[in-house]
Amino acid sequence: MADQRGAGMSGPAVVYLPGIAGHPANSPALDALGDAGWDVVVPRIPGLDGRSGFQVPDDYLSWLTVVWDSLDATEVHFPCPVVGASLGGMLAADLAVFRPEAVTACVLLAPFGIFDEAEPGLDIYALPTAERMSHLFAKGVPDPFVERFAELGPDDGPVARYLSDVAAASLLWPLGDRGSARRIHRIGCPTLVLWGELDELLPVAGSAAWAEHGLPVEVVAGAGHLLEWDEPDGVAGRLGEFLADFHGA
Amino acid sequence: MKLLWFHLMPYPELPEDFNRKHRSVWVDVDPGLFDPEVVASSYERYIDQLVHAEQCGFDGICVNEHHANGYGLMPSPNVIASILATRTSRAAITVLGNSIALYDPPIRVAEEMAMVDLLSHGRLISGFPVGTSMDTAYAYSVNPGTLRRKYHEGVDLVLKAWTATEPFAFNGRFTQMRYVNALPRPLQRPHPPIWIPGGGSVETWDYCSTRDYVYAALSYYGHMMAKETVGGYWRRVEENGKDPNPYRLAFLQFIGVADTDQEAHKLYKEPAEYFFNRSLHVYPGYADPPGYVTEASARARYKSQVRAVVRAKQAKHDLTWDEMVEKGYVVIGSPDTVRETLEDVARTFNCGHLLTMLQFGNMSDELTRHNSKLFGEKVAPGLQELFADAEDRWWPTNAVPA
Repeated sequence: MADQRGAGMSGPAVVYLPGIAGHPANSPALDALGDAGWDVVVPRIPGLDGRSGFQVPDDYLSWLTVVWDSLDATEVHFPCPVVGASLGGMLAADLAVFRPEAVTACVLLAPFGIFDEAEPGLDIYALPTAERMSHLFAKGVPDPFVERFAELGPDDGPVARYLSDVAAASLLWPLGDRGSARRIHRIGCPTLVLWGELDELLPVAGSAAWAEHGLPVEVVAGAGHLLEWDEPDGVAGRLGEFLADFHGA
Repeated sequence: MKLLWFHLMPYPELPEDFNRKHRSVWVDVDPGLFDPEVVASSYERYIDQLVHAEQCGFDGICVNEHHANGYGLMPSPNVIASILATRTSRAAITVLGNSIALYDPPIRVAEEMAMVDLLSHGRLISGFPVGTSMDTAYAYSVNPGTLRRKYHEGVDLVLKAWTATEPFAFNGRFTQMRYVNALPRPLQRPHPPIWIPGGGSVETWDYCSTRDYVYAALSYYGHMMAKETVGGYWRRVEENGKDPNPYRLAFLQFIGVADTDQEAHKLYKEPAEYFFNRSLHVYPGYADPPGYVTEASARARYKSQVRAVVRAKQAKHDLTWDEMVEKGYVVIGSPDTVRETLEDVARTFNCGHLLTMLQFGNMSDELTRHNSKLFGEKVAPGLQELFADAEDRWWPTNAVPA
């Protein structure tokens, strides 16, 4: 499933923190980074990885501890760039805030963390389970998400999907706001925010809250919430350009 | 056997086209549908019906907690219970919930329930439901992933607050308090009996049986559907080394009594259809917040095709009256018919506490009282003799059975 930095990896590392639907496969954008010589490291975050026995951490600080432990388990050599999508964007921003020595650059793809009362977006967890996935994408659900955990079989696969959703929902409940607006001014590393024009969960108007704190925001036309899957070329291009300066940093 | 009269306090005037024009009776139901004057008069009428139930010979009267919905107008059951405590003199005041994970700190629940126990001079049954997903995860926005642990911790805190002989500090995962000293303490010692409403999870069966709490099977879908749940519960009781005392179990059943079977069909069709097809018109998106059920329960659910079919059927809200009767959602008939059915259910389930639902949907006050009176006079006597040899260790100290 998720890749971890293996002994054979020797290039510069970029950490990827996955989004609301977990990490069934590397996106084309991450593959492009790999083609450009990056070692893409995706930590196995408990719960999101669907493993049995997951228990939701008591609170957000406990969740951050779990995520950081999973980052350390990859044995990646910090500092390095970090890319975070969706709820992974919220986690990436907090990594840059709380552990600035670990992050050389940050790319946030439609990050959760700031709730916009004026444009609240779709409450995906108030949809019937079978309908949720389709609202994450503007151009259809990619195969890896359709087949998420199918390799575990008809008994364990649905349970793994459920546990992955439990983990994501617990990080976001009820509004997906963990107070990011009150601390992202402390992000000191170069940061880029990309946002899907057609994001149903976090309408693009909400990106203004990140821009207000001095973070450059670029809107990706035709893309939904998990924009790297809807617009693989566009997102891969911007990721590659932005991270090129940190290659080998 | 103890017979308890259970009230949901539904809003009685949802429009006939409610299902077509509104997506849910719960969470985001249109507040404009609720006429405050209708709610006010309903409260008055419903409280009178609960008081009337004691006069009809019921052993207990029951209230419960729901939020942001049209089928239950009791967001605070303790408010209603406090009124019942002073307007009745004998019946057990059964509060099924409080949903304790909704309250920070939960010590408020300990205080209010103690007040009800004192106001009723020791007649309180203290129920602690986890609460439905609609009430907890949506109407109160509690994180479903931590809901159950917060609930269990809250129950422990309340029990300690009721029984501690001196102030103490509580360092929980979800509640920290430097000083816990809930006053007043309840009248019943060490504390009022604990009943836990549940829907069929193995965890709840174990929780109740190992702690010696009553398990209250609160499905609205009747005795036939509940067989699997009740059987599973008793298996866990045995496996946990506990005795099969029938008073460990409470079970809820919708009931309509009339002079004849034919008349019962005529009288109870409309309120039953109102309840099952309007009051239970819940948008399916509110049924399954991730984390609300444990991994074990999720695993069991994915394996149970039967339940999936039932859920799909319920979600469509296309139940007919004949289905409601045939499937046992509603037990209706003459006093003899109803008594025979319920006696069979009680013996089959080994159930010592029957929670009777004799008002449902938009049932009129006149019909509700008729139903209660007939049940009290002609059905109850035959049932209350059941399980006479078993000791009810889960009954309030000063509640006097009929």
